[in-house]
Amino acid sequence: MNTKKIVKTIFMTEILQGMALTLKSLFSPAVTRQYPKEKRQPFPGFRGQHAFVRDAKTGKEKCIACGLCGAVCPSKCIYIYTKEDEETRKKTIDRYEIELLRCVYCAFCVEACPVGAIALTENYEYSDYSREALYMTKEKLLDNWDRFMAGPKGDEYFEKFWTPKQQSFRAHDDQAVFRPKGSNGAARPEADTRPEGVK
Amino acid sequence: MMTLTINGRKVELEAPVTILEAAKRNGIDIPTLCHHPALELWGGCRMCLVEVEKMPRLQTACTVRVADGMAVRTETPRVVAARKAILEFLLINHPLECPTCDKAGICALQDLTVRYGAVAGRFEEGKRVFPEVVDDPVIVRNMKRCIMCTRCVRMCDGVQGASAIGVIEKGARSHIEPFSGGRYNCEYCGNCLAVCPVGAIMSKLHRYTYRPWQMEKTVKTICSFCGVGCTLRLEVRDESIKRVSAEFGDGVNNGLLCGRGRFGYEYVDSPERLKTPMIRRDGRLERATWDEALDYAAGRLLEIKKENGGGAIGGIAGGRATNEEIYLFQKLLRAGFGSNNIDSIARLGLLPAQKILEDIFGQGAVANLISGIPRSEAVLVVASDPTRTNPVMGLEVRAAARAGRKVIAIGHIDGLRRHRTRRLEAKTGPGQETMIMAGLLSELLKIKPLSGENPEFEEAIKAWGKTLPGPDEVEKATGVSALLISGTAADLKDVSTSSIIAGRELASSMDIRTNMMMLAALGYILNSRIFLISEHPNEQGLIEMGCSPEMLPGERPVDVRTFREKCEQAWGAGINPEAGLTLMEMIEQAGASIKALYVMGEDPAFGLPSRGRVKEALGRLDFLIVQDIFMTGTAAMADVVFPALAWSEKDGTYTNLEKRIQRLKKAVIKEGIEDWRILAEIGKRAGLPSRYRGVADIFREIAQVSPIHAGLGFESIEEGGVLWPYKGKPLSVSSSPSSAAGRFPGSGKAVSISPPPDRNVLKLVLDKPLLHSGTLSTHSDALMDLTGGPEARLCPETGGKLGIADGDAVKVSTGEGQISLRARLESGLPEDALFISNDFREAGAFELFGYQLEPESKTPVLTVQNLKVERL
Repeated sequence: MNTKKIVKTIFMTEILQGMALTLKSLFSPAVTRQYPKEKRQPFPGFRGQHAFVRDAKTGKEKCIACGLCGAVCPSKCIYIYTKEDEETRKKTIDRYEIELLRCVYCAFCVEACPVGAIALTENYEYSDYSREALYMTKEKLLDNWDRFMAGPKGDEYFEKFWTPKQQSFRAHDDQAVFRPKGSNGAARPEADTRPEGVK
Repeated sequence: MMTLTINGRKVELEAPVTILEAAKRNGIDIPTLCHHPALELWGGCRMCLVEVEKMPRLQTACTVRVADGMAVRTETPRVVAARKAILEFLLINHPLECPTCDKAGICALQDLTVRYGAVAGRFEEGKRVFPEVVDDPVIVRNMKRCIMCTRCVRMCDGVQGASAIGVIEKGARSHIEPFSGGRYNCEYCGNCLAVCPVGAIMSKLHRYTYRPWQMEKTVKTICSFCGVGCTLRLEVRDESIKRVSAEFGDGVNNGLLCGRGRFGYEYVDSPERLKTPMIRRDGRLERATWDEALDYAAGRLLEIKKENGGGAIGGIAGGRATNEEIYLFQKLLRAGFGSNNIDSIARLGLLPAQKILEDIFGQGAVANLISGIPRSEAVLVVASDPTRTNPVMGLEVRAAARAGRKVIAIGHIDGLRRHRTRRLEAKTGPGQETMIMAGLLSELLKIKPLSGENPEFEEAIKAWGKTLPGPDEVEKATGVSALLISGTAADLKDVSTSSIIAGRELASSMDIRTNMMMLAALGYILNSRIFLISEHPNEQGLIEMGCSPEMLPGERPVDVRTFREKCEQAWGAGINPEAGLTLMEMIEQAGASIKALYVMGEDPAFGLPSRGRVKEALGRLDFLIVQDIFMTGTAAMADVVFPALAWSEKDGTYTNLEKRIQRLKKAVIKEGIEDWRILAEIGKRAGLPSRYRGVADIFREIAQVSPIHAGLGFESIEEGGVLWPYKGKPLSVSSSPSSAAGRFPGSGKAVSISPPPDRNVLKLVLDKPLLHSGTLSTHSDALMDLTGGPEARLCPETGGKLGIADGDAVKVSTGEGQISLRARLESGLPEDALFISNDFREAGAFELFGYQLEPESKTPVLTVQNLKVERL
């Protein structure tokens, strides 16, 4: 035991240091949020509860029923059942379900989606007493979009964070491109050869 | 022996093959698009370009054959650049709709694009667009996705022989189209969509309901439609079959399928399937629990046995049951209830025909490999149409024709119209086949030197042949020119190997014995493999498993004590030494000596001739049990109905027409009890103890009881099949040369052939449609969309005479009954024939046919009296 330690022990300097911090904190503003009375605004791009993007033009979901979200999902919580639309003969969703209890909020589904049809909203308040409430269906997901992401917020979300794969597709750097001046080298797909919703 | 190097690796080869093949054998992968192992070489897609030393240009690996000292490099920068360029050209027009294309994930173009790198298009011009064609009930064409590999066209022309599709237009506008326009007018084999490397030709069934990676399981099993026993792969999602495919190089069919096999699977998901057992109470069928139904059924059968003896109980089994089920069924009746009255639909032709042939040549006389057909020098098809009843076997006949073999058809054979070498077929009227065959045989005996392999047998057939009518007599009787017959015989003079295909039509005849003896004689003279067409997937199993009144498992006669004792020992119960009643005798005796009938997977009220009389007979029964997957006509009359499981829902084995035992595997889990469990439960209640844990245990017992199956394990059938002779001993009564002659019955006696029918009178012929077999297939929506409904087919000339136009509703009546259906005029049909099939519940041909029992084999021979056709 050296002298320093003996002095520390006798004069209780450590306790006094602690008390000084307490005294200092006593007069600084509080950091505790009084949740749920006081709510925190999530940062943009927050990964909360899922939503199905509602296409402003058609008023329906954008989803083209490709199933890539379900394929990439690491916790396999997306169940997608598809069918042929009797009128348009296009592929459409029959049932689309997400089991929130198993979701790990990695947003791989958003990244995989070729058309930007699924999003993670800023909503994080959806705990419930029943499992059913945490089993999302197509209608519930579309409803989420209207509630949390409608308007410019949704556009911003995809612009800033999750540009759909289709739009970020570029040519190789060394590839010769025969195209009018001013074009940036991106593929200009023919609208009529694409499934609906693909830009 | 030649040596070459591929990518620096030394490769040694015995015979010259293509570079692609040589690389494949050595584990080097060369990408291809237009190449397919089942199709002729084309070299059109240029994906397989490789660099060959000292050759200035890149070479197509799929068409260039290797030479000694060749040095090949498959992935040099030059090669990769060429492949990239080709892919880029393909993607100019290929739409980027992979996210919604059902092929994505198993698409060759997609895989190659991933392998060689995707590039954005550098073309300002728009993509070539074709509208999607959805006019057809089962095939969707999406020509904007087509990469013009022409695999489908080569498949349709060169393998299927239907030649229904072709490349239309030229240059960038070229695309594949059926010659009939939007809707296909073809055999609907669907082999074109199986070879399409991209999503240009796709099945419409379950379209857009799955992605390849979403399939939960892929199960390799056997098809449930005919006796060929094609190997299928069922792809299942959510306990429902989504896709049926076949792999090239796999099974009897080598990757080919017919329309029934590929598109007919939907019946298993039909909402009309039976789900619960039912018991008749106060005249109505009501739902019951399994225990109730089993107790009731076993109790009533035991009561009837007590009152009237075991002989009062009969059993009829269907050709879709597995070997294990059939075995247990006959065991239940023989050992449980002491009755030998067990028969099946094999009695309508296959069983008696096979028995006569086996009597002459010994067991296994008809166990020949289908793959041998195209290798024989001549193929003789008699009376039955293999391309309709056993379509995949029919393809082998067509392959033989394409390879320049002599294909001779006797009788009207639709599917070989463009594939035969002699015009005998067009000249033969319905019912004249026996006469023509006799003419051909007598002529052949005169001109063709015999092999001398079995002199006694040769003496017997020579003596017998002398009594056969010669070509001149045949001309007098049938009107077919003697010159044509002797010409055909001359064609066959130098043939050293051949195949003969015959079917139910030859057996369902009063001349069955003569017919079979002629087949045997022809078979000997021409050194033939004989094939008997089998209409049900396990018709052969019905025979082998002892589902006939006179034979125990292993086709051993029931009246021989040693065979009986072996079974008695294994089963722990006595067996009645006397042969029981045959199929039609049981029906005739219903209500008299037969009091109860157990029907498993069969619909006698629909599938037997003289329907009115059969129904009446079934009504006279005291007790009727039906075990089926649908509410058939017979089930509606039953006292107890057990719901069975369909082919995709159970394990077991099927024996095909080549006597190849193949494994049926459970693909879908469905609520219900397997057929064998139902039989075992009833057996338990009837005092037959059983400790089966699964079908493997039953198979083990079969191997103990049946001498021909001895030594076989369920495991040995697991992968691939087991071929005849399995491991056991065939019944060797008549395999020695002298006994073959001795068993050539009627040698020396004059041959009796019933006079051929008058060609001026219209005759009713039982039609065998390509896309239907029995009422089961009518529960498949896709097959119904393709065929529409029952049809009476006749040729336009006859239609004109009767005042019937194509599509008219007609009423057909005979002494037995009448049906109304649509008439279809088709050129090329015999003028004196009216074809009606027995597949549609609303109008089946067996309403019109009567029958007469052939006295010896008890085969029901179809008869027609007072045929009248009227326009409605």
